[in-house]
Amino acid sequence: MFNNAMGLILADNKKISLGELSTPRALSAMPFGGRYRIIDFMLSDMVNSGIKNVGLLTYNKYKSLMDHTGTGAAWSLDRKNDGLHILPPYVNSEASSTISDEELTGVMDFLRQSRSTYVIVAGSNIILNTTFDDFISSHEASGADISVMYNRDGTKYGNPSYILDIDEDGFVRDMLFNPPKAASSKCSLGILCLRRDLLIDIIAKQMAHGTTHFGIHSIVKMFDELKVYGFEYSGVALRINSVQSYFNSSMSLLTDSVRNNLFWSGNPVYTKVKDEAPTLYFDNADMSDSIVSDGCRIYGKVEESVIFRSVTIAKNTTVKNCVIMQDVHISENCYLENVILDKNAFVRPGVKLVGHPDYPVVIGKGAGI
Amino acid sequence: MGKTEVVAMILAGGQGSRLGVLTKTIAKPAVPFGSRYRIIDFPLSNCVNSGIEIVGVLTQYQPLALNTYVGNGHPWDLDRNNAGAYILPPYQTADGSSWYKGTANAIYQNMSFVDDNSPKYVVILSGDHIYKMDYAAMLKAHIDKGADATLAVYEVPWEEAPRFGILNTKDDDVIEEFDEKPAKPKSNLASMGVYIFTWDVLREALIEDEADPDSNNDFGKNIVPNLLAKGKKLCAYRFAGYWKDVGTISSLWETNMDILDKPEEINLVDRSWKIFSRNPVKPSHFIGSGAKVRNSALTDGCRIFGDVEHSVLSESVIVEKGAVVKDCVLMPGVVVGEGAHIERCIVDFGTIIGKNVEAGSFVTGEGPYTNKKLCSEGICVFERGLKIKDGAKICQNSMVDSDVEVAEDDSVIESTFRV
Repeated sequence: MFNNAMGLILADNKKISLGELSTPRALSAMPFGGRYRIIDFMLSDMVNSGIKNVGLLTYNKYKSLMDHTGTGAAWSLDRKNDGLHILPPYVNSEASSTISDEELTGVMDFLRQSRSTYVIVAGSNIILNTTFDDFISSHEASGADISVMYNRDGTKYGNPSYILDIDEDGFVRDMLFNPPKAASSKCSLGILCLRRDLLIDIIAKQMAHGTTHFGIHSIVKMFDELKVYGFEYSGVALRINSVQSYFNSSMSLLTDSVRNNLFWSGNPVYTKVKDEAPTLYFDNADMSDSIVSDGCRIYGKVEESVIFRSVTIAKNTTVKNCVIMQDVHISENCYLENVILDKNAFVRPGVKLVGHPDYPVVIGKGAGI
Repeated sequence: MGKTEVVAMILAGGQGSRLGVLTKTIAKPAVPFGSRYRIIDFPLSNCVNSGIEIVGVLTQYQPLALNTYVGNGHPWDLDRNNAGAYILPPYQTADGSSWYKGTANAIYQNMSFVDDNSPKYVVILSGDHIYKMDYAAMLKAHIDKGADATLAVYEVPWEEAPRFGILNTKDDDVIEEFDEKPAKPKSNLASMGVYIFTWDVLREALIEDEADPDSNNDFGKNIVPNLLAKGKKLCAYRFAGYWKDVGTISSLWETNMDILDKPEEINLVDRSWKIFSRNPVKPSHFIGSGAKVRNSALTDGCRIFGDVEHSVLSESVIVEKGAVVKDCVLMPGVVVGEGAHIERCIVDFGTIIGKNVEAGSFVTGEGPYTNKKLCSEGICVFERGLKIKDGAKICQNSMVDSDVEVAEDDSVIESTFRV
């Protein structure tokens, strides 16, 4: 277990929109995989790596994220020393009309107070289950200033994508943003390792140049002046870049290799606990190839779907290839295929909703159908 | 809240010997129940939901699992600054040390814990019942009636009354007499083992009881009759909700099945009275293609590829392809191998049922593990941490216990391991 690192996670990504799904919440607070939020994976990865000090950089829509993280107790991050720090925009009263460099000011304060040597910086849209021990030791061995994690998924997940051109020694010599034709399949995962003092210098410089927003790839882009090393990650890494990639990533959990890599690799994925009752399957329940969470009541048929907590699926109803979020109620005699139903949606009896696997129907939070 | 009005004490030290191998290494209150709970979750959650924030948990028999489970009380919101859950084991004093001799003696030995919180009332609970009860409403009745003690009672069928401690009452539910397991009951009001005492009254009674060398130091046998003899006012508090004792193999099995057969009675989905538990950190459960799951309760971490019917599965249970699980209670981490067929089995922590094993109520006859003293109604029980040989047959009413001496050829246990 490596102990000399701290974590910094960006709660949202202004370049990524999941339409109606990201209206009520920051990207990292997006529900995923039955009982998780996207951020649970990165927080757990950090905690499983021995990191005890994590900053969560938010700039808007952080209510649902803060409800979720609370004091950080679920990740054992409710600590006297270090722990979980929510870093909301730092608005001072004299400049309340515009948020100028306050986002970076907050980060600077957080970084300066720590005593860690390294910082692991991560975005809000990556789902993987790993520890950063190898990443940090390879960073040390490479002699690089900055290391960036990538894998060979190329532009498979659509835009935004940062394609890396890496030389034979493993150093980044070019980076292309949303290239029309990818020159390589090496796509950045937006996870960095660098020394804390270097990060402080970089941010100070950016602030002096009038930058207000913290951007992971604006740091990678410094390959001309700094040595940026590429670290290949070979495990499963899902990217949430769009509604489509959210849907595909959710469905990929139904394949054994993805599910086992993300959930049963030996490192637990922590999340806020809800103390729901066990899920009950009734007489005519007909289940196959599905992930189901606690507190559900299943009377109908469910195929190839991801079902979150406390969902009711009534009699004579079929749910196929769907993502059904927490507290959704689906009444009798419905047929749903290729649908994403956000939290608390209510589907009345006899409704038929069919999307296309390449273009799922999205029903917003709390909608009544 | 300023001054503490009430302290709850949960008697969780009993062995629960009628549960056989299930309580060989853990105390009964720590036995898993209902897919995602332990028995003690019910009294603990009832306390919190009733607004009681100081809860002493008296442990004695095999306390490790229970102590670890209750821990700092966090899952029940019992990690408060000046309140919370307190594990109270027997201890040594300058005069020596003594185990808890009985339920009353356990409270007697912890009088200073209660005194330190100086409550007006004490709620005494046991750790072996499944029910949801508002102790605050009971306390209100206790105060309104000006009682010295209030005993929760449950109307049992008359023919079952001889199995219980029966309270004979007059008008207004004032208790006249306590009959322990009467042959000819005069009433059908059974004591639920839920008591509220005015602390001053109980304190005095405990000291007197301790001074009596012939006493069993038991609430039912000694404290309650003594208070009645002294003319104290004891009232019955009628409880009409779901209440089950899970002290025997058959009642533990039946109560688990009640979750499936009458889910509205215990109503675990009621968000106004949640039963809290220490959550396993496991992903949502997965049901593979070709699996069948009907009339069953499942929770996090389960992976199902076979047939599961009318069964209660705890976290991280694996049912492999072609396996049939019917009317079973499977504790955390149990694996049912390919092609195995089990019915009416209670399988404890982590045990691996080998491939093509046949076990349970449908396998007639008697075998080396038959245990009719503890097992009835065809129910089979498996100890924790066993690997059951592939193809083994285990007949109804068996208790598969690694300590039972069985000829090598007759043994169904391939190996044992620590869970």
